[in-house]
Amino acid sequence: MKFLGLIVKNIGRNAIRSILTALGTMMLVFVVTLVWAILAFLNVALSEKNANFKAIITERWQIPSQMPYTYASTLCEGAATKPGDVRPMDSMTWQFYGGSIEKDRAKRGMNNVLFAFSLEPIKLLTMMDDLDNLPAGQAAVFGKSVKALQDNRQGIILGRTRMETLKKKIGDTFTIYSMNYKEIDLEVTLVGEFPEGRYNNSAAINRDYLLAAMDAYQQKNGKPHAMANKSLNLVWLKVPDSATLSKIASQIESSPLFSSPQVKCETASSGIAAFIEPYRDLIWGMRYLLAPAILVTLSLVISNSISISVRERRSELAVLKVLGFRPNQILTLVLGEAILIGALSGLISSCLTYGIVNFPPPYGFGGIKFPIAFFAAFSIPLAALWWGPALGAGTALVGSFVPAWGARSVKVSEVFSRVG
Amino acid sequence: MPLASNSLSNMATRNPHPIVRVNGIHKYFKRGSEKVDVLNDLTVSVPEGEFLGLMGPSGSGKTTLLNLIAGLDRPSSGEVWVGDNLISQMSESQLSAWRTRSIGFIFQFYHLLPVLSAYENVELPLLLLPLSKAQRREQVTTALELVSLKDRMWHRPGQLSGGQQQRVGIARAIVTDPQLIVADEPTGDLDAKSASEILNLLEEVRKILNKTIIMVTHDPRAAERADRVLHLDKGRLIEDVVKATAGSA
Ligand SMILES: Nc1ncnc2c1ncn2[C@@H]1O[C@H](COP(=O)(O)OP(=O)(O)OP(=O)(O)O)[C@@H](O)[C@H]1O
Ligand SMILES: [Mg+2]
Repeated sequence: MKFLGLIVKNIGRNAIRSILTALGTMMLVFVVTLVWAILAFLNVALSEKNANFKAIITERWQIPSQMPYTYASTLCEGAATKPGDVRPMDSMTWQFYGGSIEKDRAKRGMNNVLFAFSLEPIKLLTMMDDLDNLPAGQAAVFGKSVKALQDNRQGIILGRTRMETLKKKIGDTFTIYSMNYKEIDLEVTLVGEFPEGRYNNSAAINRDYLLAAMDAYQQKNGKPHAMANKSLNLVWLKVPDSATLSKIASQIESSPLFSSPQVKCETASSGIAAFIEPYRDLIWGMRYLLAPAILVTLSLVISNSISISVRERRSELAVLKVLGFRPNQILTLVLGEAILIGALSGLISSCLTYGIVNFPPPYGFGGIKFPIAFFAAFSIPLAALWWGPALGAGTALVGSFVPAWGARSVKVSEVFSRVG
Repeated sequence: MPLASNSLSNMATRNPHPIVRVNGIHKYFKRGSEKVDVLNDLTVSVPEGEFLGLMGPSGSGKTTLLNLIAGLDRPSSGEVWVGDNLISQMSESQLSAWRTRSIGFIFQFYHLLPVLSAYENVELPLLLLPLSKAQRREQVTTALELVSLKDRMWHRPGQLSGGQQQRVGIARAIVTDPQLIVADEPTGDLDAKSASEILNLLEEVRKILNKTIIMVTHDPRAAERADRVLHLDKGRLIEDVVKATAGSA
């Protein structure tokens, strides 16, 4: 387009103002991108797969959930007792074991702590989100790690980041000094690693090892460990469809076996829905008040800047008209300026947001910690890369329309014949 | 060649076919509820190739008349013909397109765009025509050569003197090869020496390119260069001075 040069030069005319407008746009686009990313994330989290999905069983009234381990085997069967009761396709138990590789409490910190899922190793392959549908190559490699953990119950599997922070490599043996299982310190051998991705910071140990350690404690001390009755944190069940799920849920919730404490059975999305229920107004506000308010602010910022620039240039715009520029071409020039600033700063902003939020340290945050249910972190979706420029350009178009229309209607005879 | 040079033929004599014909025009402006008459029953005709001066006291309607002839405004009544076009009847968008091709404007305060170089300022009206970049370059360079500013073509207006800026203004006015050039006090903002240079240049443009020029001026020395001077007062023509020496300055 022949006018592009002219538009760019006009933007450069008052570089400070253009830069300030651009920075303002970038800030606001940044906030909107974050808000939308959170909303998009919740949308995904709240939408249910309709086949082969997972249900979670937790303690009904307590967070964190702590159930007696004796619940495990019956819950894994979906509390099926009578003929006609349905059973889940698969199941998994989770016990959270947290500790530090540093014996000295005073020296414990982020670079020596460790939170492990204590579980039945084989379930890592069938029940864990994302790990149950790895690409063939990765699946084979990870399968070896799982096999190793199964063969060596004192083994541990770590995510890459955790491995680096703890400065451990495969084959290393070290002791974890427990923080939530008092006096149950575990000597473990690093036998494998999680595939690159969401488990980068995770750890998994063999549940047999933890259970055996608790038995040993009881023998040695003549009484059960303080955690013995509340070591089961979660039970996962895989079900083929929601009809099965509600059947199983009612089997569990009506069973007398789980009365003290009571348990509840829900899907990941219903769990999250329940978890965010108290924040509903907040989320509603983010979606319908905050985001629109920011967009309005953004278009006002742009409108203001373009108005000033049009007012300053009235006579220049009139000259263009004299030379034969048609009103709509003038409109295009002014809109073009606003849209170019808006789209460019929106693009820069969303690229920066995407990079800074998603890239792993030291370049970025490696996702934002979002302690809803069991989601470790959420990241900015790739789509945000076009939200930015679209937002910037869209608000610029709206914001600059009135001043651009004013520019379009500049009357040349008025500008040039102002005489006493 | 768009800026083809032409001979001086039929310059001194009045061309029987006028390029501009203003027939009995009235023009008033509204100020609030009040009507202010600016031009009253004015009839003027300008032969092709003439260098016409317009003089008169401030507020007498010179700029208003010039605007009507150049298609920047329309008369309240009466007709304005330029060439074969009845421009007083054209719509605003027809006028826009027509101005680009048919009229060259020169302003007292140059009105160059400060963010553009001399070259880009001159190129501006050509952007509205269906020309390739190479064609535009050729026309811009030719025009800048004619005003002897080829060596300054990448300077911005702020880096040029008033006289030089006005020469860029002249280059911009002639670059589309219009029939008619209108100039509103082109020397009004210049010192005597630069003013005289600009007037020389206008005469040259008239002679070499065979353009018709209408120039509003307060300066008697500028008016002297014109073939003919019209005096306006309170929106009426009061004098029509034809000079014997026209065209030979
Ligand atoms: N757009 C307009 N609206 C209202 N009045 C106008 C407008 N343009 C011109 N006038 C009035 O018309 C009259 C003639 O103005 P014009 O600009 O034609 O005078 P001029 O002869 O060019 O004066 P000067 O020598 O000072 O430039 C003035 O009284 C002016 O105030
Ligand atoms: Mg005037």
